[in-house]
Amino acid sequence: MFKVIKKILQYPRLTQDYPRKAPDARLFIGKPIIDQDHCILCGECVRRCPSGAIIMNEEAGRVGFNYDTCLFCTLCAEVCPEAAITMSSAFELAEKDRTKLRASTLVVEDRNIPDLSYEIISDLLREKTQKIFGRSLSIREVDAGSCNGCDYEINALNNPFNDIERLGIHFVASPRHADMLLVTGTATRNMELALVKTYNATPDPKLVVAVGACACSGGIFKNSYATRNGIDCILPVDVYIPGCPPRPQAIIYGILKVLDRI
Amino acid sequence: MTIIKLKSNLLDIFPDDIHRSTLINKNEFYIQVDSRSIVKICTYLNGELGYALLTLFANDERTLTGKYAIYYGFADRKKSQLIIIKTEIAPTAMSFQSISAKVHAASGYEREIKDLFGLIPLGHPDAKRLVFHGNWPNGLFPLRKDYDLHHKPHFSKKETKFKKITGEGVFEIPVGPVHAGIIEPGHFRFSLAGEPILNLEAQLYYVHKGIEKMAESMSVEKCFYLSERISGDETFANSLAYCQAIEKIAGVAVPPRAEYMRVLFAELERLTSHLGDLAGICLDVAYGFAAFQFRMMRGWSYLIADDLCGMRFLRSVNKPGGLRMEFVEGKEKGLIDQLMKIKKELEETVVIIKQNTMFIDRVENTGILKSAIAFDLNAVGPGGRASGISHDVRKNFPYAAYDKLIFDTPNYVDGDVNSRIRVKLHECFISISLMLQVIETMPKGPIKESLPELLSHQVAFGMTEAPRGENIHWIMTGENDTIFRYKIRTPSFCNWPALCHAVSGNIIPDFPLINKSFNLSYAGNDL
Repeated sequence: MFKVIKKILQYPRLTQDYPRKAPDARLFIGKPIIDQDHCILCGECVRRCPSGAIIMNEEAGRVGFNYDTCLFCTLCAEVCPEAAITMSSAFELAEKDRTKLRASTLVVEDRNIPDLSYEIISDLLREKTQKIFGRSLSIREVDAGSCNGCDYEINALNNPFNDIERLGIHFVASPRHADMLLVTGTATRNMELALVKTYNATPDPKLVVAVGACACSGGIFKNSYATRNGIDCILPVDVYIPGCPPRPQAIIYGILKVLDRI
Repeated sequence: MTIIKLKSNLLDIFPDDIHRSTLINKNEFYIQVDSRSIVKICTYLNGELGYALLTLFANDERTLTGKYAIYYGFADRKKSQLIIIKTEIAPTAMSFQSISAKVHAASGYEREIKDLFGLIPLGHPDAKRLVFHGNWPNGLFPLRKDYDLHHKPHFSKKETKFKKITGEGVFEIPVGPVHAGIIEPGHFRFSLAGEPILNLEAQLYYVHKGIEKMAESMSVEKCFYLSERISGDETFANSLAYCQAIEKIAGVAVPPRAEYMRVLFAELERLTSHLGDLAGICLDVAYGFAAFQFRMMRGWSYLIADDLCGMRFLRSVNKPGGLRMEFVEGKEKGLIDQLMKIKKELEETVVIIKQNTMFIDRVENTGILKSAIAFDLNAVGPGGRASGISHDVRKNFPYAAYDKLIFDTPNYVDGDVNSRIRVKLHECFISISLMLQVIETMPKGPIKESLPELLSHQVAFGMTEAPRGENIHWIMTGENDTIFRYKIRTPSFCNWPALCHAVSGNIIPDFPLINKSFNLSYAGNDL
């Protein structure tokens, strides 16, 4: 017992004060950025990008990134012959609109699963949501086909360093108790039905957040016989959090963004 | 037994069945045999000689030989040798003799081959679908070369049949695929009489993404990034197995400094993973204090990863031929301090939890995996080492710089949750000691070697000890630096059937605890 008390006194508080205080991001590997002046449009990065996230627009003479697909693997920075690409440490990348994350036009797959509640979700409702939830929020996490990297990072939101409950946000065991679905993975063929059922079981008004490159766009797993190109092929998504996997602070940023608290 | 002795032995016993044999990559002995004699040869290797079945997979080689091929990978762990039995199946036959009745570990692999290639295992005791659920239509087999990766077939509606246990008062509880905690999806069907579990059937493959199909025709460089994403928390172990296989095919020797640094990262990954498992076990028995101690230490080990490479999951650290860049130089001092801090905290926490009789009462004699079953199913990693199976790839098939470092392999025999906790704790200390040894003895020098263009249709195994156990990858290269076939067998594939055995007889509230003590990866199993 005394040993336990000693430990509690030894580590009174480990929680980092994110988002009020920015973390030391010097060593973080964030999104790649390109210096258009130095780019010679050789196309080396476009050819070698493992997830096909780099787009060349030859008419405009520009190379751009689709951050919803990017794996942040640093290969483009490594292979660029002119060193025009560098890895920044920017990790707060969540956006409500997927087109803001993209350099190329978005071609959305048709949603083919009928669901009545799509119509209900609207901007108007979001205002109402704000009123109802206030500053607290219950989250149900659904893994719809990730590699489990994103799930471990979501798990880390509950550790002593991030302690997401201090923000009034907590994870619940059933979708029936949830206000928000935090979805990871590409929506695999075998999880599609379970994902839709979980969505339908969540009471309205509800929010959906796509976590990680797979959930945003399919990432490296897109276009296979068993996967979809992101969960917005199946569900309406409120916020996209890019990253492979996004670090816990990036997920907190995304969750707070959907609540308009940032 | 040496390869020469084994070869003459086999030729004596099966004079008419062996077509030819070759030894490649120093320890991979391929024997091509007649498809009719596969059962007796595999039974001899597994039953008489005690060689474990490490992997079993098919390959669509119709473009090369006009036939399908099936590979049975056995290991002589004492002699660090792989014995691979290869047999060819003509497209007119489309079936092969099942060895599952004799070699029990083969059951899952044969069902996988049936789903992905459409080759029927004749005489399999229970050859129902494994990879595909009721929504997959009949007659489509994605790993055949003529199946288009992007083709998404229509959703068919078939019921999945579970094993029925009947009797007075027996009932079923379905759980999943979406669970109460923040974990991956899987469906569990429990049959119970009262509280004790009579039978557990796990329906997995909810996160099946088709990784093996995606790898085919990918360039060697791109496929590396795919290998990193097989199972998130085993990023380094998987990418290292991939790199090993590619390096063997290329005939490239990795610089010594990179070999040492690979040990450092592999052990850091193991430490992080084990600390997370221990936290999970404590949380599942509502022992909050200990859970948060372990979570704190896990946080510290993530900090080490962040300090070294800026990636918490050690992604983009490896590279075929070495490592991406120099990560450690100039950071040795801080690294030692951080490791010593974790070590001290871990020592103090272990004293506290071992004195907690309520905690020990919960984990002792819970979820016993019997040694005989563990042997039979080739249980690997901490799950196997807690049940008396002492093998460890780092010892049996040394890779990277492991043969130059001093460490032991924990071995416990009780097979319960407590033993698995003790194995994991023991391994945490081993990992820290290995990392400290690496920092001390690491030579200076370059950290990567460039790869030449690879020859087509070369094969090699990559083997690593992932945090969850023995990890086996097999690669056949295609033309122009591409992959022809990438077979991945993660430790989770071996341990899932073992877990189903370990829970029977236990009460249902103990299932989360037993499950967490194995902590298997769904993504690594489902691919």
